[in-house]
Amino acid sequence: MKYLQIMMALFCFGSIFAQEETPDAYKKRVLETAEIDFLSSYYSQEGNNASVTGGIGTEQLSDATATIVLSIPLNDDDVLTIDAGISAYSSASSSNGNPFDITGASGNGYDDDDDDDDDDDDNDRGSNAAASVIGSPWLASTGASRSDVWSSVNADYAHSSEDRNTIWNADVSFATEYDYTSFGFGGGITQLFNEKNTTIGLSGKVYIDAWQPIYPTELKAYDDENGNQNQGFFNGVTIRNQNGNASSQWKPLNGFATIQDKGRNTYSVSFSFSQILTQNAQFSVFLDLVKQQGWLANPLQRVYFGDVPNFYIGNAASIPTYTSASNTDVFQLADDIERLPSSRLKIPVGLRLNYYVNEVISLRTYYRYYFDDWGMQSNTASLEMPIKISDQFTLYPSYRYYDQTKADYFAPYEQNLSTSEFYTSDYDLAQFNAQQFGFGISYTDIFTKAHLWKVGLKSIDFKYNNYQRSNGLSAHFMGIGFKFIVD
Amino acid sequence: MIKKTIIYGFLISFYSSCVAVKEYEKVKLSDPDMALTTKKIDRFETAFQVYREGAAGANGGKSGGGCGCN
Repeated sequence: MKYLQIMMALFCFGSIFAQEETPDAYKKRVLETAEIDFLSSYYSQEGNNASVTGGIGTEQLSDATATIVLSIPLNDDDVLTIDAGISAYSSASSSNGNPFDITGASGNGYDDDDDDDDDDDDNDRGSNAAASVIGSPWLASTGASRSDVWSSVNADYAHSSEDRNTIWNADVSFATEYDYTSFGFGGGITQLFNEKNTTIGLSGKVYIDAWQPIYPTELKAYDDENGNQNQGFFNGVTIRNQNGNASSQWKPLNGFATIQDKGRNTYSVSFSFSQILTQNAQFSVFLDLVKQQGWLANPLQRVYFGDVPNFYIGNAASIPTYTSASNTDVFQLADDIERLPSSRLKIPVGLRLNYYVNEVISLRTYYRYYFDDWGMQSNTASLEMPIKISDQFTLYPSYRYYDQTKADYFAPYEQNLSTSEFYTSDYDLAQFNAQQFGFGISYTDIFTKAHLWKVGLKSIDFKYNNYQRSNGLSAHFMGIGFKFIVD
Repeated sequence: MIKKTIIYGFLISFYSSCVAVKEYEKVKLSDPDMALTTKKIDRFETAFQVYREGAAGANGGKSGGGCGCN
């Protein structure tokens, strides 16, 4: 029995490498003609665990994106792909970096930027509106961090060998937003063999990123004024204790100082293996090793400790109902920003298996197991079932399940301890599961009959997803894409 | 018996995977819906998941960096 198994295994492996490659009768271009993709999406979410306000408060956010992807065949073997995008978001949570603007006090008050230009986002302190300074984690403010634009550009160059069995690529990317800048570069090689039935890929990527940090207003002001609570932002503002009485005892943990190490570097190596199983089935396995170093926390996200007194600005009568959405006029001063280790190793392993059932239905399945050295483990499973309802239209119903354990450093609002080295109340690092139901429809015209100037419309894709997290966050996503080919 | 059946089943399926599918037999596998990659329209979906979830990567695409996300 044992010998039989060994013989079969040896024969099997031998058959892989004994395959003889048949030279192509002619050399087919890797990409026949230039392609242009226009992609756009809209995302919105709601929830009550905003990380900027320490794990409670509105998470309302909307984001719209537009992207263009241009793929240009440089010759028979080489393709250059340029990918440029822009994403604009508006966030109630982020706006509460400076929550005190809901009074309209930004003209009177204090903003979280400290540049020297002439725009309205500098640290200006008005003279007479301090008494009316209020805020709430349950309302959006008009702070400078309420909205942002993320822009990115990526260029990728890919070369295929004469026999099309070896492909290497190199890419470079740049992305920027108000408080974050990223520069990335990488490359990879893909090798096909066994009559293109087997593929092995290896790639690497480096991101050199940096924060231009925005801090919670009260912490930045505390640092700017060296703790003097009668100057700058604090001038004329009443700080109240838990009982609603005026107090001068508030002090952030260790007196708060702005961060010095603003860099965040990411190094990743990805392995992939794919195999055709039958004329109807193929699978691939992915393994990533991702090492991140630098400032891995978000400087805008507050933490409130359970073992230190609480202090507020605003209406004393609302303090007892602070954690309720009915609170519209009192805000708790931060104890600190979140603190996380300066290193993180992430290891996800994924498996994709696609099966062609018949001319109408295919199955696309995916599973991923993830773990990291912050104590988080996760499972992801998804199923998509393309249904061809005609030569031109395909439907894409889908379902995705996700779960994760919490990171070692996560605790909800007021449950972290000031004696800990690391802490966060970011619910993206909490324990939860999520379910996503999706639906898509695709239109494809292989003859590209519809023309716009010198480009022909090849396909239109639409996608909708409904995302529900077990801790209350819900989101909607819509995306649309147009693919054109150049005549 | 069950153990043997599983072993034989595994070996048979593994052996069948070693028999190369010829180019002219790949019509079904060449269907765009059979691609072992994510579609372009799914890139935004992946992006918001990277922001809203602690885990990322192992999907043939980006696995971290480039944003102030987790």
